[in-house]
Amino acid sequence: MAVTLRKPSTFQQYKTLLRKDLEREFRTREMLTSMGIYAVLVLVVFGAALGQTTPALDLLQVAGGLLWALIVFTSLLGLNRSFAHEKEQGCLEGILLVPLDRSVIFLAKATSNVFFLLAVEVVAVPLFYFFFLTGVSLASDFWLVLVPLLVGTIGMAGIGTLLSTITINTRGKDVMLAVLFVPLVFPLLYACASSTTALLVGAEGYMDVFVQSIALAGGYDVIMLLVSWVLYDFVISA
Amino acid sequence: MAKEAKLPEAGQWPDRIAPWALLAGAILSTIGFLMAFLYAGPVNGAAVNGVEMIGGTMVSSKLLLSQKIFYFHMPVAIVSFIALAFAGYYSIRFLMTRQARFDTCAKVGMEIALVFVICTMVTGDLWTRFEWGVWWTWDPRLTTYLILMLVIIAYFVLRNAIDEPERRAAYAAVISIIALIDVPICYMVTRLIPSSIHPVVLREGGMTADMGMTVGVCMIGLLLVGFGLYRMRFRQVRLAQRMQAMKDQIED
Repeated sequence: MAVTLRKPSTFQQYKTLLRKDLEREFRTREMLTSMGIYAVLVLVVFGAALGQTTPALDLLQVAGGLLWALIVFTSLLGLNRSFAHEKEQGCLEGILLVPLDRSVIFLAKATSNVFFLLAVEVVAVPLFYFFFLTGVSLASDFWLVLVPLLVGTIGMAGIGTLLSTITINTRGKDVMLAVLFVPLVFPLLYACASSTTALLVGAEGYMDVFVQSIALAGGYDVIMLLVSWVLYDFVISA
Repeated sequence: MAKEAKLPEAGQWPDRIAPWALLAGAILSTIGFLMAFLYAGPVNGAAVNGVEMIGGTMVSSKLLLSQKIFYFHMPVAIVSFIALAFAGYYSIRFLMTRQARFDTCAKVGMEIALVFVICTMVTGDLWTRFEWGVWWTWDPRLTTYLILMLVIIAYFVLRNAIDEPERRAAYAAVISIIALIDVPICYMVTRLIPSSIHPVVLREGGMTADMGMTVGVCMIGLLLVGFGLYRMRFRQVRLAQRMQAMKDQIED
């Protein structure tokens, strides 16, 4: 009887790695619960910070920025944890023993991080609306906010996956990730915050600002994902 | 052996001229400093569209003594870019060859870049205060430089947080490459997104001959200072490394 051995395709490897991450999360729900609770806590802090503002005027101007502050802080928490459990049981060494292209690991990990961040945003963004924006008249196209949310999440997950792989091997890794992540993600944050604000406020010519910001954020995503993808090999095998 | 000889090492020919370069750079920078005040004429500072309200004061086009800082600000900024470019080059070389020597070069290059970036921030901030009337504004150039400074500081924080030399070198190289790609994007993003908050500050185009002369002298002087500092620091770090290697050998 002939035994046929077939090398799994790259896409199959990717699917397997992605499923491993998602299954683990659905069993423990460690990351999603901690990120969700953290997001609510940040909202509570915003509530205290904005106690003296007049909702109709001031809040609309800063709402877009605050939403992105919420997302950045929550992402930091999630990205920190995303590699922690790989390290605990020696899982990463196991994956590295498999003869697969290292960049597949990056793609799988980045995809699972995108899913986790999106899952948290599904809860956090409506809550943000509920707490702060119900008394405010939003511009008619505000649902387009989904576009910057998606673009921003993909970029943050991409660069964040690379950086959390680096920081997992350092002393004081929680602070280290923030120190690296915030300056490097700044252009994306700036573009996303300005496009979100443009949409929420809906001032004259807001569509131009929106399109331009989204184009820049998309450009950041493409460049940074490619660079991270190329450099990931050096990081994970170091 | 032939390959070994090509690596940068303490005691090669640049080390012999480094002290002289530093001295010449110091003298030229001093001459440039004097020229900025005695030779180059006063110039219009940044001209504003009519008269604008910036940071609570009315500002318009006028002759500004504060413009003198420009003769240092721009050369210092350019030297910081050159140092960064070298650090990036050596980082790529390190990832290609895995020679620890290139990591040392990249680290020293980053140190020099940090010194010059901080000088740029200080001189730029003085200018901002007097020209625009505010200590800080989220102008594209300022924002980009702040991010650049934070990334360089993060680079050193990261280096300090890792013990294994191999891993530290690889991570540091990766971060410096990402940083060098990130910073131009940062400038583009902050520049291109239209903003209603900041006043549009137009730049006066062109330099007169005396200004160009002064900038040139400062530029050459600071480049020499940058080169001299880099080389002397590299020599010091290399000698310390060799000393350590010898100590380890004796202990074994």
